[in-house]
Amino acid sequence: MLDRRLLLVSGKGGVGKSAVTASIAIAAARTGRRVLALGMVDSLGLAAHLGLENLTPEPRRIAPGIHAAVIDRAQALDEYLRLQVRVPRGAPTRQLSRALNVLVDTAPGVREIISMGKPIYEAQQSRWDLVVVDAPPLGQLLSYLRAPATIHRLVSTGIVQNQAAAMRRFLTDARRCGLVLVTIPEELPIVETVESLGDLAEEPLIDLAVVAANRVLPELGVADEVVAALPDGPMRHTAELHATLEDHQRFWLDALGDATRLPYLFGLVTPAEVAAQLSAHWADQE
Amino acid sequence: MKRTEVLLVAGAGGVGKTTLAAAAAVVSADAGVSTLVITVDPARRLGDALGIGGLGNRPVDVADRAQLWAAMLDVTASWEAIVTRHAEPEVARRLVANPYFRAIADRFPAAQAYAAGEQMADYVDSGAWDRVIVDTPPSVGGIDFVLAPGAMSELIGGRLLTWLTGAGIPGRRALYRITAKPMLRLADTVLGGPLLEDIAEFLLDLRTLYDGLSSRASEVERLLRNARTVLVTTASPTPLREVRRFLDELPAAALEPAAVIFNRALPASWGGATPPTDVDGIDRAAWTALHDNLVRWGAEARHEADTRRQFAAAYRVPVATVPLLTSPPTDLDGLAGLVDAAPDLARALLG
Repeated sequence: MLDRRLLLVSGKGGVGKSAVTASIAIAAARTGRRVLALGMVDSLGLAAHLGLENLTPEPRRIAPGIHAAVIDRAQALDEYLRLQVRVPRGAPTRQLSRALNVLVDTAPGVREIISMGKPIYEAQQSRWDLVVVDAPPLGQLLSYLRAPATIHRLVSTGIVQNQAAAMRRFLTDARRCGLVLVTIPEELPIVETVESLGDLAEEPLIDLAVVAANRVLPELGVADEVVAALPDGPMRHTAELHATLEDHQRFWLDALGDATRLPYLFGLVTPAEVAAQLSAHWADQE
Repeated sequence: MKRTEVLLVAGAGGVGKTTLAAAAAVVSADAGVSTLVITVDPARRLGDALGIGGLGNRPVDVADRAQLWAAMLDVTASWEAIVTRHAEPEVARRLVANPYFRAIADRFPAAQAYAAGEQMADYVDSGAWDRVIVDTPPSVGGIDFVLAPGAMSELIGGRLLTWLTGAGIPGRRALYRITAKPMLRLADTVLGGPLLEDIAEFLLDLRTLYDGLSSRASEVERLLRNARTVLVTTASPTPLREVRRFLDELPAAALEPAAVIFNRALPASWGGATPPTDVDGIDRAAWTALHDNLVRWGAEARHEADTRRQFAAAYRVPVATVPLLTSPPTDLDGLAGLVDAAPDLARALLG
C-alpha cells in the first residue's frame, strides 16, 4: 500500500480518518519514504494528530521525512491555472483567474476539480514518495472524484477537458493511487461503508487500497460464566461491558467483511499519541 | 394560533443525536404535549420503532403513543425542492435541466441543511404540534444548520451575481450580456467549453428566486434563533471540536445553547477503582485478563471525566451526562427509560 504515490483517506465523520492519515504518514516516513500529509477540507484534525496547531498551504517539514500542508483554495486555483491547465502565455490570466475565483467561491462544482488537482499534482512531483490525504467523508469525496467526469460531460474539448481526463487516469491507476476507507465496527458506519463499497464497485472512480476497521477492542479472553461469577463491582462491570461491546463489534466486523483492524486505544490523551500508536500497525502490514 | 416550541438537537454525526431527539420526543409526548420529531437518518430499528422505516416524508402518527408524531426528512432532493418551490415554473424547468445544476444538485451541504430548515419551518407554521423536535442532518454540524439560511441567501444574492448583473438589478440579463458575458466567453475559449457560461446562466436563473427565498430564509433563521438548542457530543475529540466550534463562533443567528449533553459516558467511579486482590475460583490467567481490562477501562473513564471537567470549566453552558448503554434503546419504552436513567437529561432536553 505504501508503494503507491497517492493515498486518499476517507470515511464517515468521527471514525478516526485524521488519525489514520497521520499514522500512515508516520509509518511511511519510518521506512525512509519522503511523505507529504495533506489536509483537504477541515485540517484541524490532521494538524492535531501530527502534533501541530495548524497547517500551512506551503508544505512545511514537521518531522524527519514528513512535510504537512493544507489545500488553500485561492492558492490551489492559481496553481491549477498556472501548472495544470497551463493557460497559454498572453491569455488574460488575471481576469480569467478573477472570473474563476468568483465562480469557485459560489459554485461548488468547480471547486471540486480544483481541490482534487492539488493532491494529484503533488503526487506527481519527484520530491515526494507518497502523498497521503485527509479527504472529506466518502459521499463528498465521491463527488470530488466524479468532478473530472462531470467536467468531461460539461466541456467537450480543450485544456480543462484534457486535464480532467489525465486526472481520471491517475485516480483509477491502482499502482499509483488508492483509497483508504476508514470505518468503526458500529451499525451506522458499517452500513454506510458497505453501501459505499457497493457504489465504488459500480462506479470505479478510484482503486480501493484497504478498508480499515478502527477502534477494534482486544479480546477479553475470559469465559462468560467466569465473569458472571465475579462479585459485584467495577471488575465485573468492566468485563461485562467489554464482552457486550466485543460481541457487538464482532457482528459488525462480520458484516463488513475483509478489513485491516486497528486497535481501540484506551485512555490516550493526545491525538499525536493516537497517531503514533496506530503507525506501528501499518509497519507490521508491510 | 398557539405557539410551537422548537427544540434543535445538534452535534457531529455518530454521537447519538437521533436517539436523544427521539427520547426527548417520547418523554414530551408522554407529558401530554403533542410532539413531532423530525429525523434524518435513523438506525433501522429506531426508524422501525417510530414507524418511519419506509419511504416518504409525511409525518406519521406513531403507533402506541398518543400525541407523538414522527417524520423523516428527505435531504436528497433538496435543491430541486427549493427551486420548484421558489421559482416560476418555466424558470424552475430551465434550472433543473441545466447541465450545471444536474452536476451539483446533490452535493451542496448548505442546500440540504436549508431544505431541512424550510421543511421544519413548514411543520412549525402549520400549528399542528405544540413542540417540534429536529435532529439536524449528520452531514452538517450544528453550526452549519443554523447558518444555512444565511448561506443560501448569500449564494443567490451574493457577489458573483452582483458582479454579473450589476448591483440592484437582480435577474436583469441585459447588463450581464454587456459586461460579463464577453469575459466569460473568452475564458471559456481558453478552457475549452461553455462551462462558465452554463454556470452563469444557471446563477442568473437562480437569482430570480432571490426575493421569495430570502424572505423565507429569514423566517427560517428567526425560527432557529428562537429555538431551544442542545448540543450532543461524546468525550471524543472530533465531536467535541464541533461543540467548541459552535460555542466559540456562536453565530448571530443562534441563541446560546441551553445545554451540552455528553452522551455514552463511562461511570466516573471506574477511574479510581482498585481491583480486588483475591477472587475465589478464578485461575491466574483469567484474573490477569480481568485486571488488565479494569485498568484499561479505568484509564478511559478517567480520561473522559477529565475531558468533561475541563470543558465545564472553560464554558458556562449547563452540562448533562448520559451513561453508556451497551445496547441502545430500540423501542419507545426504552427511549423513555433512557431519560429516566439520566436525571439531568430531561431538564437539559426539555427545560
